[in-house]
Amino acid sequence: MAEPEVNLSRTYDVIVVGSGAAGGMAAHVLTSHGLQVLLLEAGKKLDIEQELRSMEWPYDNRYRGGLPPDSHSLTLNEYTIRNPPYGSGFEKSKHLYSYVGDSDYMKNIVVDERENPITGTNYAWVRARCLGGKTNIWGRLALRLSDYDFKAKSHDGYGEDWPISYSDIAPYYDKVDLYLGVSGVRENLAHVPDSLFQRPIKLNCGEMQLKQGIRKMDRTVTQFRAAVATDGLTHNKYRRRCLARGACNRKNGCDIHAAFDSPTGLIYPALDTGNLTVRTNAVVREVTVDQQSGKVSGVHFIDSLTLKDYTARGRIVVLAASTLESARILLLSKSRLYPNGLANSSGHVGHNFCEHLMGPRIYGQMKELVGKPPTLDDGRPGGFYLTRFRNLSDRHPKFIRGYGFEGNSGCSMFPKGTDVPGFGASFKEEVRKNQGSYIGMGAFGEVLARYENYVDLDPQVRDNWGIPVLRFHYRFGDNEKRMAEDMLETAQEMFEAAGFRILRANGRMFTEGWSIHELGTARMGQDSKSSVLNEFQQSPAVKNLFVVDGSAFVSASCHNPTWTIMALCWRSCDYLADELRKGTL
Amino acid sequence: MGNDKPFDYRQNRRSWVKTSLAALGSTLLPIPASSTPVRRLAWESAEARTESGGGFFTGAQHALVEELAETIIPADAQSGGAKAAKVADYIDDVLNTSVDASEKGLWQEGLRLVDGMTRHQYGRSFMDCSSEERIAVITILSEHADLTDLPEIQFFHELKRLTVRGFYTSKIGIHDELEYKGNKLSLEFTGCEDSAKDRP
Repeated sequence: MAEPEVNLSRTYDVIVVGSGAAGGMAAHVLTSHGLQVLLLEAGKKLDIEQELRSMEWPYDNRYRGGLPPDSHSLTLNEYTIRNPPYGSGFEKSKHLYSYVGDSDYMKNIVVDERENPITGTNYAWVRARCLGGKTNIWGRLALRLSDYDFKAKSHDGYGEDWPISYSDIAPYYDKVDLYLGVSGVRENLAHVPDSLFQRPIKLNCGEMQLKQGIRKMDRTVTQFRAAVATDGLTHNKYRRRCLARGACNRKNGCDIHAAFDSPTGLIYPALDTGNLTVRTNAVVREVTVDQQSGKVSGVHFIDSLTLKDYTARGRIVVLAASTLESARILLLSKSRLYPNGLANSSGHVGHNFCEHLMGPRIYGQMKELVGKPPTLDDGRPGGFYLTRFRNLSDRHPKFIRGYGFEGNSGCSMFPKGTDVPGFGASFKEEVRKNQGSYIGMGAFGEVLARYENYVDLDPQVRDNWGIPVLRFHYRFGDNEKRMAEDMLETAQEMFEAAGFRILRANGRMFTEGWSIHELGTARMGQDSKSSVLNEFQQSPAVKNLFVVDGSAFVSASCHNPTWTIMALCWRSCDYLADELRKGTL
Repeated sequence: MGNDKPFDYRQNRRSWVKTSLAALGSTLLPIPASSTPVRRLAWESAEARTESGGGFFTGAQHALVEELAETIIPADAQSGGAKAAKVADYIDDVLNTSVDASEKGLWQEGLRLVDGMTRHQYGRSFMDCSSEERIAVITILSEHADLTDLPEIQFFHELKRLTVRGFYTSKIGIHDELEYKGNKLSLEFTGCEDSAKDRP
């Protein structure tokens, strides 16, 4: 069935490409300034009621929540050994998904890897082409960056400083906190700035014990800072307050939208202004450029179902397609004026690509909780966050920058500990007795931004829509390897300090891309010879072009980027609206 | 390009209200009628699936799988076991819909081999053995679980894996056995009752 058509005969004030955290935020801010916005999303509109089944019991699901048998989700070992384009060896499977698409709840949200191939180095690229993008399935950890990140080069000499500091973005973090809701506890740590928190999601007993145990090491475990409206939001009728129920760790979104997702958090309120037009199934393949003025004039897009080609016109184009997709669009937008791609006079588009290192993790047990009656430990997107402690006031001899841990403990719907040996009555009893006594955590570390880590366009391979795919040149380096060793060591040290029995500790680094936090491919900077955008995410050479997603980051930090993406985007969109009013664009 | 009105994405708000009310009323949500054209597999309810019956095991095999699964996870004072949780039906469905020929083959072979073990040991089929005899034979496999080059051992791992999965995603497993406290409405997340633990 074809999408009813939006009006493409008019010239919109702004065309926004992408409807995730950045695109949704751009639509919200720009429409609130009274601008007429066309929001283009490559994916489909999700049937939210059908897809976000937060309270579905596994026994009411056709496959007990697993994937249908004709589908396959790539595993860590497969990403390690097999090379992109992923597909060969899985001929029996009708659908092939990234590692995140491993359940019935994800299969309609994440992309099919065969329709959207990549080439080059091994990379676990997770994409969600649908209205709201990955915000429908994200981890919901909302952390601020600090000047330890914005001025990381001044701190340790590596890379570049951001062209902004914390004081520039702090008021925008506040706006995001209040508009979307974030829950947590004030810790007064300079390197993990506090937000304007709603009531925290409490730690459970195992997590308290870890917190106590590492206090003497001067390290901090704090409540998972969740992008969840625990006290509700009076200004958004599409979102309920959190009711601490649901299989939140299933990560397929919140059916009452207490957890932030872009459609209900940003796009529907923007539609209410009357200034927003949304067109889904619109795969943007190029930004159009007026060859006389050198300014952008709109975009070409392909309908993802009919493959028909369309052109939309806008006075301004805002790319928010996600770090890699926005870089891809810039590279695809070659013209006589811009033979290297759009906004790429520096040659840095696609380069300085970074994300977060994952893999080292630990799993332990608290004997005090064995045999205790079951407790409610679900109904929240995460348990605790263990904040960065490396390379703040000290200098580690082997690596720069830092890492934190995310983790949780307690009972869950599918019990932990079914991998103990044995069977029968004693096995059953063992699983029951121990179900609430486990605690685990995994590390997230900063991957250094390197010019030599980049994506470009594959000269031959195309996706299902005939668009050249990305070719990856991205590998972890020595700093990441040494950081991984330290992650494993400190994880064990901290679990021992907390009195846990360590059951498993693993230092294996996951495949590049596992964090799903791609950043840096169109970085901001003060020097246009080594950066793509200015501090307002605007191209200095093409003033009516903005790129407001994670591609603008100068460094990855070790903190999850979504909250920062949205704060930066808000700031840049305020600037855009102002400049448009003044007539400089 | 027509004059059709574009989708109003906010129409989901009506469905939100419906979902919210349903959630307040019960934990079993009604199955909504799909309102958008879909390029995905047809959805069948779990109840409909059980009614139509399995398709992979013969009657005799199905009975054997019931007893094997019950040996892995038996009924006890806390709750029913794999038999009560209809784990054999679940395994039958998994194998029936599987596209993996080697998985199907392993089960055929494994059932045959295990029955052979009890015949050798006790002169009787697994079905005719006592509970202690059955446990003794499965114990041999369990104690040699690392010998994964043998199909018997591979079968043991698969038997345990699917029994565990089928049991702990069943009503008996979740509600009776584990007494799972989640997936219901609360005012807020409870956390640790002992706040005295949070002293510096």
